[in-house]
Amino acid sequence: MTAVIETEGLGKRYRRQWALAGCTLSVPAGRVVGLVGPNGAGKSTLLNLTAGLLKPTAGTIRVLGDPPPSRPAQLARVGFLAQDAPVYAGLTVAEHLKLGARLNRGWDAGFARRRVDWLGLDPAKPAGRLSGGQRAQLALTLAIGKRPELLILDEPVASLDPLARREFLESLTEAIAERGLTVVLSSHLMADVERVCDYLIVLVGSRVQLTGPAGELLAGYRLRQDPGAPPASLEDMVLATMRHAAGNGDSQLEAQR
Amino acid sequence: MIWLTWRQFRSQAVSSLAVLAAFAILLGATGPHLANLYAGSGVASCHGQGCQNPANAFLDQVSGVYSLVFTLGLAAVILAPAVIGIFWGAPLIAREFETGTFRLAWTQGVTRARWTAAKLALPGLTAIAVTEGLSLMYGWWAAPIGEAARLDPGPGPGFPLGMGPFGLPGFDAHGVVPAGYAAFGFTLGVTVGLLFRRALPAMAITLAVFAAAGVAMPLAVRPNLFPPAHATQSLTQNFSGGQSVSPGGKFTFALDYLDSQPGAWILSSGAVNATGQPVSVMPAACGGAAVGPSDLSHCLASHGIGVAVSYQPTSRFWPIQWAETGIYLALALALAGFCYWRVGRRVP
Repeated sequence: MTAVIETEGLGKRYRRQWALAGCTLSVPAGRVVGLVGPNGAGKSTLLNLTAGLLKPTAGTIRVLGDPPPSRPAQLARVGFLAQDAPVYAGLTVAEHLKLGARLNRGWDAGFARRRVDWLGLDPAKPAGRLSGGQRAQLALTLAIGKRPELLILDEPVASLDPLARREFLESLTEAIAERGLTVVLSSHLMADVERVCDYLIVLVGSRVQLTGPAGELLAGYRLRQDPGAPPASLEDMVLATMRHAAGNGDSQLEAQR
Repeated sequence: MIWLTWRQFRSQAVSSLAVLAAFAILLGATGPHLANLYAGSGVASCHGQGCQNPANAFLDQVSGVYSLVFTLGLAAVILAPAVIGIFWGAPLIAREFETGTFRLAWTQGVTRARWTAAKLALPGLTAIAVTEGLSLMYGWWAAPIGEAARLDPGPGPGFPLGMGPFGLPGFDAHGVVPAGYAAFGFTLGVTVGLLFRRALPAMAITLAVFAAAGVAMPLAVRPNLFPPAHATQSLTQNFSGGQSVSPGGKFTFALDYLDSQPGAWILSSGAVNATGQPVSVMPAACGGAAVGPSDLSHCLASHGIGVAVSYQPTSRFWPIQWAETGIYLALALALAGFCYWRVGRRVP
């Protein structure tokens, strides 16, 4: 399978602090990728680099074959939902859809309208008066409505209450199934990732600690478990990885792998 | 992209149209009467020294509402570029950073180059059009007052400022310079907003920088755009300006109105002797208690002393206007280019 995102020694430094360092990974097409890690691990940095909103300090990144953001053609193929789902407070829901239509050649007006209807969003309502969940849904509609091949979601449910969170993830799963796109979704909550993702990237302390199909990673981890222990869950595995990375440094983790 | 820019800019555009309309109504309602006063005053048909009295009489008639409109209009044209820079320019991109919406805008199917171009072009050109529109309307309205002030060496007490073609801040409100100020004010605001990413501090800094430029230009740059002309005026002529005599026999003369060049911009003046050398020490014959102020002038004149003046003649009005506009437009283009480059460089 071809890689949608390929990075080689990718790093981003803010003043003295490396937010992301030595990141080498390859995300295959057609996956729903969960990017997990504690707060401040560099998840947002990696996703913003992928969306072309940041410039790497070190290494290279290719998204759909080109370093982002190269050309309008690439912009059109990547959908991005930023953290906290920014929307224009003064523009109505309908105007956001118009924004999507005006700024994107491949805009799927029918889909966007249907989705807004189905969500029960009032088209005449200014986005500034929507609830957090509704705002996230509107921003997701914009990101999917441009018909991207790669959809990047930066902590899409972090600010939502449990009900809105469940609704958002369900509607996301539906949309993914309908369109067959590659999704990269970051979260610091394993439960969310477990529900929708089939591929994992674990980022701790600005470094990639673990990457691969969720099932394979888990199977491999269980083989290394103590024979007597109950079978580990995906969450157990990720937590153990984080603990190792945070507590014992990278070398021991390498040895354990 | 034009649509989004227009949608975000719509309320400002509408309010600026409202200001233009209100300004037009105010000036339209008071302008014809002012023109009638001017036509009846005889200033239009006078010649040479004969103009000073009718000009002075006309300016005395311009009082009450008219003097208020004169001042208000002047303030509106002078302040428009600063207001535009602060309220249109500074938040334009800073607000996108504050709310995070730049992440939404920059990940649509439109390149950042086009985004920046649209953001700069639509409000920027509107800023220029609105300011120049205000200035043209005001220029039409205030033309009789400007002409009378040019001819009258001692304008009435109601008009301490803005008199004559080069008056401060009258020069800044007429001709083409308001367009240059508007372009500069707007792009300055956008640039500062882009650098600081917070609307409020960006607004304050824009105001400070714009004000500094507005002070530096007339004081340091405008007088030197073209080499000044020189003239010497006799002390026996009608004299408008200041003179001082100190007990030690030192004296100074400063001229603020050149009879041979009504409305000329006096850059510097001082007493000189017959050979053109500056003098400040009283000739012995003119000293002493017996000599009164007007006798002093005649006494000094009889010793060959006159006042040397360096000035910009009124014929330089348009060259200076265009040169200054050119400077501001060039600065505006440079700032716009910087914004274009900086946004493309994948900031934050």
